[in-house]
Amino acid sequence: MTTPLLSVENLQTQFETAEGTVRAVDGISFDVHEGETVGLVGESGAGKSVAISSVLRLVESPGEIVGGEIRFRGETLLSFEEGPNGERRQSPESLSNKEFRQRIRGREIATIFQDPMESLNPVFTIGSQLQEFIEINRELPPKDARDVAIETLREVDIPKPEDRFDDYPHEFSGGMRQRVLIAMAIACQPSLILADEPTTALDVTVEGQILNLVSDLQEEYGTSFVWVTHDLAVVADICDRVNVMYLGQMAEQADVHDLFDNTKHPYTEALLQSVPRPDKTVESLTPIEGVMPEAINPPSGCRFHPRCPDARAVCREVNPEPRNVSDTDTRHNAACVKHDAFDVDYEHSTPIQSEGDEFGEDLQVTEGSR
Amino acid sequence: MSEADDAGPILRVENLKKHFSTGSGVFDTVELDLSGGFPLKRSIEHVKAVDGVSFEIERGETLGLVGESGCGKSTLGRTILRLLQPTEGAIYFQGRNIAELDKGQLRRTRKDQQMIFQDPQSSLNPRMKVGPIVEEPMKAHDLYDKAGREERARELLEAVGLDPQHYNRYPHQFSGGQRQRINLARALSVDPDFIVCDEPTSALDASIQAQVLNTMRELQEEFNLTYLFISHDLSVIRHISDRVAVMYLGQIVELAEKEELFEDPKHPYTRSLLSAIPVPDPSQAGSRTILQGDVPDPVNPPSGCRFRTRCPELIPPDAYDLDDGEWAAVREFMRAVRRRAFDPDDRAAVESQFFDGVSLDGEPGAVVEDAIDHVLAAEWETATDLLTEAFAEQSICAQEEPAYELESDRSGTRFAACHLHRE
Ligand code: SF4
Ligand code: SF4
Repeated sequence: MTTPLLSVENLQTQFETAEGTVRAVDGISFDVHEGETVGLVGESGAGKSVAISSVLRLVESPGEIVGGEIRFRGETLLSFEEGPNGERRQSPESLSNKEFRQRIRGREIATIFQDPMESLNPVFTIGSQLQEFIEINRELPPKDARDVAIETLREVDIPKPEDRFDDYPHEFSGGMRQRVLIAMAIACQPSLILADEPTTALDVTVEGQILNLVSDLQEEYGTSFVWVTHDLAVVADICDRVNVMYLGQMAEQADVHDLFDNTKHPYTEALLQSVPRPDKTVESLTPIEGVMPEAINPPSGCRFHPRCPDARAVCREVNPEPRNVSDTDTRHNAACVKHDAFDVDYEHSTPIQSEGDEFGEDLQVTEGSR
Repeated sequence: MSEADDAGPILRVENLKKHFSTGSGVFDTVELDLSGGFPLKRSIEHVKAVDGVSFEIERGETLGLVGESGCGKSTLGRTILRLLQPTEGAIYFQGRNIAELDKGQLRRTRKDQQMIFQDPQSSLNPRMKVGPIVEEPMKAHDLYDKAGREERARELLEAVGLDPQHYNRYPHQFSGGQRQRINLARALSVDPDFIVCDEPTSALDASIQAQVLNTMRELQEEFNLTYLFISHDLSVIRHISDRVAVMYLGQIVELAEKEELFEDPKHPYTRSLLSAIPVPDPSQAGSRTILQGDVPDPVNPPSGCRFRTRCPELIPPDAYDLDDGEWAAVREFMRAVRRRAFDPDDRAAVESQFFDGVSLDGEPGAVVEDAIDHVLAAEWETATDLLTEAFAEQSICAQEEPAYELESDRSGTRFAACHLHRE
């Protein structure tokens, strides 16, 4: 197999809080290959957004990347080594923040966030922001950058781009603002775009427009995407491969068809059973019992065990890392000991009751809010 | 329930309108107009948020109300309960027109009608304990004595799937899903017949949403409730509803029994919505056809059918004899001109981009030729006006407001506001 475009290995990002250390991302690995759209899926609190902020070096204090390795086209962007006193520190191969900003972010790896207003400055016009971005990142003179900006706006289907160039962000609808961000992301023809719930706040028809636009652009430029979302339908629609996260760790990683048709992890299975569908009437939904625990105090063993319908005694003890459990040539990773690959005698372990009883999620009371 | 009639629908809404004037009240928008005449111009506009809506809800059923943001579905929900004063129309609740009630009479109907909102956080007073929160509406309506209220509150907490022991906790100690359950318990405390649920599960994660939806169904059965369930989420609507109404720009465009609406939609907007929504099944990926353009301004909705500016099935003007291919080419060209979606070099390029293999003659041909001239002269507005007047405005879709009762395959009738169903 060729070198992946992006490869993330054993990434760990944590937040120091008054109550203790929150391991928001706790040792995840995933790859993105050239031209691929890779999904990063999970519910709120799973750590998916922190994961991509880590790749982009946008984690803010009190958050900190404390371990792992990130490579881009084989070049090390970030890695760790052991210091003289046994402490872990960034290795000298890691790119400096300055170099990362100049060479990688925006040019090679671009982003699209959920809320375009966070990325757009309300006091400057749409056009001037896009033009400036292009001037800086593509080193074009203002006149040419303006032409590229207008062309790019047209490409993302902004009506009357010449006129709308001088509009301010608030004069654009939510869907149009998101298209501007896509314009910004593609303006420098990056090889990878990290998109964090970019369609979550949009209406279905607008979401559809954006999804179509993205697949057209992908076809045209061969851009790779990491698509962070909680929405399994969006995943099924656009992703080639999928990573399912639960409480800071990877639960399952597979080709999109395998993930949906040959699900190997009880959490993924449970998620699929719990969502209503637009294409068929589901008479009864099977919810997942309980709520996702706080990352500050994760359950022992498999983190899903308090809610897992298949949990057995051994699941309390072993915290399984994702292993290949595929029955074909295509890799299919699942972090679940019920598969033979784990060899912990799950078969003979005693089943345990999942925590939800007649009160469902409700015996678990969250103390305080985040 | 004095003179109310129990036999008819629990709710019947007739030609309901809710218009908001922007620029009215104290802070009138005053614009500087330096172009001559009076220097100050007052601009008052009427946003037609709900504009002539009629429907019924039967006792014990769930009517789903679905639409995109800004379509007026939330305003409709609030106006039905008279949390907003209707501009026009009638709202018969249990046979009585509550659009005409005075404040005192209205207060008494509140007991029978409740509402729950999307954000359970903001609708719960953070300084009150859960028990008193649930008891509040009972107190307001003078129901039971203190001990009776507490007993009922505890019962209700259990009914909605919370631990009655949590009576003394504060809202922040609960998760989002649990807070929505507290809201349910509070709404149920006065034993209502009808609940308007406005996006009640939209803020919740998938696994939690399923728990709350299941509870809402159980409660409906146990307490004999009627729901108006408002959501932008077609999957949730399909799961929870008996019948579904689809709203677009202040009006209901289609209303039908759920299965029929999803399997055999009769309005192009419903079809567009259903085709836009991604499905959690990768074998169906990429089969989307997408609605183009944006929702028009509700201050000046399009004449005739409000969906016509985006409708993929717009009916060709009767005056011209255009076949499907010709009409599709004209529409695509019209849209591209309106949006200035291309950068024209010369006539041949425009013709090959939009009219490849299509030969228009007669008046349509002449209009298109004219329009191309204007486009090449960079007179986009003129070209747009020309095309709009000659084509879009000539369609029946622009000239008459559609409203058709159709036969339902299941029972009774269904409604579709689309001229494709004219005889
Ligand atoms: S390891 Fe055990 S608890 Fe975890 S997902 Fe597998 S069966 Fe469930
Ligand atoms: S009336 Fe015309 S414009 Fe409206 S939905 Fe039907 S075909 Fe489309």
